[in-house]
Amino acid sequence: MTYRQAHWDEPPVWDLVPERSGEAPPALPGIPEGFRRKEYVRWPELDELEVLRHYTRLSQMNFGIETGAYPLGSCTMKYNPKVSEVLARRRNAAELHPYQPESTAQGALEILWRLERILVRVTGMPEVSLQPSAGAHGEYASLLMVRAHFAERGESAQRTEVLLPDTAHGTNPASAAMAGYTTREIVSKNGCVDLDALRAAVSDRTACFMLTNPNTAGLFESDILEIARIVHGAGGMLYYDGANLNAILGITSPGKMGFDVAHLNLHKTFATPHGGGGPGAGVLAAGTTLAPYLPIPRVVKEGRRFRLDYDRPKSIGKIKTAYGNFGLDLRAYAFALYHGEDGLKHIAERSVLNSNYVASRLGKLLPRPFRPLVKHEFLLSGAPLRERGVRTLDLAKRLLDEGVHAPTIYFPSLVDEALMVELPETESRRSLDHYVEAFERAVTDTPENLHAAPRSTAVRRVDEVRAAREPLLSWKDLRAGAKS
Amino acid sequence: MREALGIASAEELFADVPKKARIGRLGIDPGLEEREVVASVDRILAKNRPLTDFACFLGGRVAARYVPAAVDAILSRSEFLTAYTPYQPEASQGMLRALFEFQSLWVEMTGLDVANASLYDGATAAGEALLLCRRVHEGTRFLVPASLPWEEKSVLRNYATGPGLHVEEIPYDPRSGGLDLDFVRRSVAAGDVFGVLADVPNGFGHVDPAVLELKAALGDVPLVIAADPLSLTTLAPPASYGADVVVGEGQGFGTTPSFGGPLLGLFACRREYVRAAPGRIVGATLDAAGDRAYTLTLVTREQHIRRSRATSNICTNQSLIALAFVVYASLVGPRGLARLQAELAEKAHALAAALGGVDGLRAPRFDAPYLGEFTVEVDRGTAAGFLDHLRARGILGGHSLADPRPGGTPRTEQVLVAATEWVGEREIQKYADAARTALGGAEAGA
Repeated sequence: MTYRQAHWDEPPVWDLVPERSGEAPPALPGIPEGFRRKEYVRWPELDELEVLRHYTRLSQMNFGIETGAYPLGSCTMKYNPKVSEVLARRRNAAELHPYQPESTAQGALEILWRLERILVRVTGMPEVSLQPSAGAHGEYASLLMVRAHFAERGESAQRTEVLLPDTAHGTNPASAAMAGYTTREIVSKNGCVDLDALRAAVSDRTACFMLTNPNTAGLFESDILEIARIVHGAGGMLYYDGANLNAILGITSPGKMGFDVAHLNLHKTFATPHGGGGPGAGVLAAGTTLAPYLPIPRVVKEGRRFRLDYDRPKSIGKIKTAYGNFGLDLRAYAFALYHGEDGLKHIAERSVLNSNYVASRLGKLLPRPFRPLVKHEFLLSGAPLRERGVRTLDLAKRLLDEGVHAPTIYFPSLVDEALMVELPETESRRSLDHYVEAFERAVTDTPENLHAAPRSTAVRRVDEVRAAREPLLSWKDLRAGAKS
Repeated sequence: MREALGIASAEELFADVPKKARIGRLGIDPGLEEREVVASVDRILAKNRPLTDFACFLGGRVAARYVPAAVDAILSRSEFLTAYTPYQPEASQGMLRALFEFQSLWVEMTGLDVANASLYDGATAAGEALLLCRRVHEGTRFLVPASLPWEEKSVLRNYATGPGLHVEEIPYDPRSGGLDLDFVRRSVAAGDVFGVLADVPNGFGHVDPAVLELKAALGDVPLVIAADPLSLTTLAPPASYGADVVVGEGQGFGTTPSFGGPLLGLFACRREYVRAAPGRIVGATLDAAGDRAYTLTLVTREQHIRRSRATSNICTNQSLIALAFVVYASLVGPRGLARLQAELAEKAHALAAALGGVDGLRAPRFDAPYLGEFTVEVDRGTAAGFLDHLRARGILGGHSLADPRPGGTPRTEQVLVAATEWVGEREIQKYADAARTALGGAEAGA
């Protein structure tokens, strides 16, 4: 299979717009002089077909799931069902204002309530809030809940530390810092939490231990019950990063593993589209200790009616406007209905099977650190390529020429020249075999070709160093540069 | 594949999950066929009444605005819709270029130097702005208008709580709803203020002339303006009156209200703040052949590199909604946008005139300029009763500005009313008539 991405030479916008229109928009009644715009916003006046062509052409220079396999580890790039797209665009879903009277939005509240009930079962935790916009947003809210809990117990001055393994997603320490905590990394042993290191690290300063399970090495933390005992024994809370939930749907749950609070990514596990970087939909699930701190409002059912409940005195309050990304929640609800009890469990089984199958085949090409049985994703090390003067980055770029996406690279940092591969349940056996063959061709190609890759994408290898050294961040910067 | 792996059952794949951590059944319903999913979801959605069934006067940060069909046609392109964050720029030039255009547009609208590629919503963008101010200025106090929507104050207090910062409220003049500039001057003189936020229009829907004098009162303390993007098509770019950071809610450009999400956080700042700024940023560069290319840049600010020292934890943002923003603006065009704002302002003034004579209602409540929204105050009965009465007559008459938390802030019977594209003269008259009956007057013409 040969692959060639489109390359369109779309004109820069400033070619289409006069540098100064010199024309002011109409003055509106009562607006003081100092508040009046002196000139229309500088942006081109285009007709509808021009706009459609421009963005259609840009779309042809973009790789999506429906273009080819997209094995970004920890990102769970699965197929986003079309039926969810159709439902989210229904007029009685899309044209609902968040401040409409509850009596006119009973269906929306019911969807939120029903999705929460399903997620209560999936997480094994009694209460769920759909308010966060994304995973990191849910993490951050979780830590604010932990903070509120310890403040109430008069322990916030003492419990100032958040612990996390060195395999943690970068968002974990960043969220902890934003919530005002100092972070301490626990060094892993064989890719998993080292219990002795954890025991030595916990203390009465520990507010929370943040853990992803399966972790970013693709390994299930089999000592999870002991980890929970250690953290709880020190009086700390245990936080579940749900980025990798896909591997354990219906097998185990954060609640069963002993976590006190969790976030899930509906845009991963529940197949809502990632939109080129967002929007996502985070979910907060909490055990009985932390549930009172969940954001308001909560959706409650009284008889056959649904309403928004703001009477939660211990709640941390709001973390965004309105109630969450309803458009995404609706898509996730449709996904959950479609799969149901057995389907959700099958997702875990199939994603783990896919992962182990591809791992066993790619393991013949590059070394795999740690134990062989993995969950939904696995790690490879590109370190042996160094002998040929090739790096993991070159391999990633060469894969793009095969019409597939590259894995996550250089993460987690405990593996030299890491590649993190996740091919979820929606990839067929044929697609997996195709990926393996593409990988084989890429890894055995000549150093010259690997260095020259990619050649089939809209542009050749992008100079990221130059972008950071001489930041050009808008048309204004480019225009200034073009003049000088 | 199981044969290839030499395993007999799926169970063997989970041998590493301890028995004590295993669950039996989830206890949810069996799966459905696609056709049944559609029927089931439609049955529930039928219990909603979309805002298009009403004469809709709802506004605030979420806009009930028409979305041209072409916006959704672009957003439905699977290359945009189903892509991840553009970590491999060579394969993702389309989204990178669109986000670069989005950043460029917000730079043009605000007059600032640098915009990021989006945050979750306007409220969290304000929260990130608060944190940015603290990185570039010493202090523990952040000032916001008392008239800011309660939801945003709550979000800001959450952003402030981690680093031990305080959000304080600037009182407003009871007649105009405008900022008390003396309070701001006194606070800044007392020291420890690291930033001030003001919204345009403000929480009452008004354009407060005091905002133009704010920067002079602040000196080197950073000024954050939370601006409605449509207003900026006719109002001066906030940089022209001293804004150091401009945030906003961008949903009204090309995204349906969808019961409040997804929304779009807009963020721009001065160039000297860029390395302290939150969020993804797209930059222009060259490829190996010397051709123009785009990539995520200044990533050393970000969580996946800098971890606990990152400028923000944000990873997933609102890229697709940012795309909707720039596609919408391109379809409507700068003149069309200004015309739309002018039309909404005209309707709002017509509504204010129609409501002005209604007994028991102060409309507008505040004596200050406004564009498409203003606040009314119900003097007879409650705001809730007033809105119920309107709803029963097919009118979504606005939303109460009261904090719904029991024992929260002082109760108010104020209602924010917005002119929308969905209403005309007939609906405005209908509103005025219903307002009269709600407050005990006679039906007009009866």
